[in-house]
Amino acid sequence: MAARTRLPLLFPKKLPPLRNQRFAHAEAALKEPAYPSVVASLTAKSKSARLRQVEEQVKKICDSPVEEKLSLITRIQRKKFVVYPQTFARNADRWYQHFTKTAYIPGLPEKFTPGPERKTEGEESSPPAAAHTTVPGVDRDAFADIRSLVSRVILQEHWHLKKRKAFLYREQEQMVGPFLRCLVTGLSHSLAQYNPLLRLSSLDIAPRVNFYWRRGQRIIPKGHRRGRLEPTRFQIDDQPQCQIRITQQLQQFAPLEASYAEEVPEVTYAPNLMPLFKRQYDNHIFTGAKLPDPACYGHTQFHLVPDRYHRDRMARKQQSDQVEVFLRANALASLFAWTGAQAMYQGFWNHEDLTRPFASQAVITDGEFFSFFCYQLNTVALSVETDGDNPRKNLLWGTESLRLYESVQDGAVVGLNDDVVKLLVQFLLNQP
Amino acid sequence: MVRYPLYQLGNPQLRIFRPSWFLTLVRPGKEQPPDTVQFRIPMEMTKCDIKNYLEKIYSVPVGAVRTRIQFGSNKKRNHLNQKVKQPDYKVAYVQLAQGQTFTFPDIFPEKDQTSTEGSMEEMQEKFMEDEKQRQKPDPRRGGVTEWFGL
Repeated sequence: MAARTRLPLLFPKKLPPLRNQRFAHAEAALKEPAYPSVVASLTAKSKSARLRQVEEQVKKICDSPVEEKLSLITRIQRKKFVVYPQTFARNADRWYQHFTKTAYIPGLPEKFTPGPERKTEGEESSPPAAAHTTVPGVDRDAFADIRSLVSRVILQEHWHLKKRKAFLYREQEQMVGPFLRCLVTGLSHSLAQYNPLLRLSSLDIAPRVNFYWRRGQRIIPKGHRRGRLEPTRFQIDDQPQCQIRITQQLQQFAPLEASYAEEVPEVTYAPNLMPLFKRQYDNHIFTGAKLPDPACYGHTQFHLVPDRYHRDRMARKQQSDQVEVFLRANALASLFAWTGAQAMYQGFWNHEDLTRPFASQAVITDGEFFSFFCYQLNTVALSVETDGDNPRKNLLWGTESLRLYESVQDGAVVGLNDDVVKLLVQFLLNQP
Repeated sequence: MVRYPLYQLGNPQLRIFRPSWFLTLVRPGKEQPPDTVQFRIPMEMTKCDIKNYLEKIYSVPVGAVRTRIQFGSNKKRNHLNQKVKQPDYKVAYVQLAQGQTFTFPDIFPEKDQTSTEGSMEEMQEKFMEDEKQRQKPDPRRGGVTEWFGL
């Protein structure tokens, strides 16, 4: 309207300075807050104070170096469930899948499946090895050498060496333990020329692997803390027969996003119904070597099935179906503990989730039957605060038990299975 | 209470025909996994005894058995101030094999109130309903009690 645009009668000669304008050449002055930010108290006896204390602790752990992180996470001792990888409990694999948020996929990942597609792909892309045989990267003569090495080891332990009849429940330890150790050392030595990683690797005999984590919560039923929420803590203390640790990380078996679609079995019952027992002692997180060791990433673990869980004994008790369950539970718990400890050594923990997946392999055997497992750790954020909207799941691939050889007769191995030897070689040749 | 001789290598295997033990299937107090069945058993029975009992007499495939002894309280006192002991009993948790599950049935289901015509129950229910209607305050007062008023 024309009336509105008229200037006022007393037009000031000097206009007041326009405060909101910012001159292009001047720097924006940092506005210091005049008063401290309004946050909950730290020492009051209230729920918000407790939340703030937890926040401060989380920030403190995030800001500290890896060694301090580990010691801060495992500082306080409380009652926790001790998870044994080799357990007598029935259907242990379902329970362990729930504790570790792992989905089981039968069969091995695409890397190891020997379908006809892989052979045609290999022929088209002209692999580096001269003669393309069953294992890419290893030619026929080398494979024959490896076969003869395996049969030599079997004969040495079961034919040439005269062993006394073992005492009660010591048979596996006496007969199969040395066989597995010789096999692993021999194979890793002979395959070192094809896999440069193995030359810088570290082979541990009977190492300790420990892991500590929290998952789920429960309401304390009785005591002075009755009615309050308490997280359920778990600890794995494992001792594989031998393991190979390498300096570089293995490549992932499947992309992170592929794990979103997998299903993890939910168990609504308390863990002590499994049966699982609680104890209180030092919380350990250990891969097999201390933090400064350069070989901090895992490659393969080898486990021995003890006499108590041998398939003959299970067959006598009419529980043959539990044999596979036992193997799966063993692989799951051992590999989860190992990969989890590797991730913790790199500084990832509950509130700082992984940026890249950690992969490891395992071979579980009782002398004749070999089972191969691959594990990929996608998430270590398993506690209640961080698991709410975490779509990632950990993945376990596994095979059924495969026979390595039929029997040993007259100084010769009868029925040596080439597929099993091939899988062993492929596992050991796995490199990023 | 029969005392069997201690087993030594070469002894004939102990066989019990027509055992005088009886198991009681109970509803678990705390929620149990679907393959677990809870029994109250005599004190003298062991895990192996339960396994053989269920497998041979009832042909139930048993996976694993765990037992515990429940202490019966000795705290209550009678009118003479003497302590009264409640008996101890043994509980067995049996996990079934071959993927079988068991849920304790509902023994006392809630009945829908459909009483037959001309019976006492129907008359009583009608009477109770009329009484309740009479006790209710006047809805026109909008929740205000009789205390406020004339």
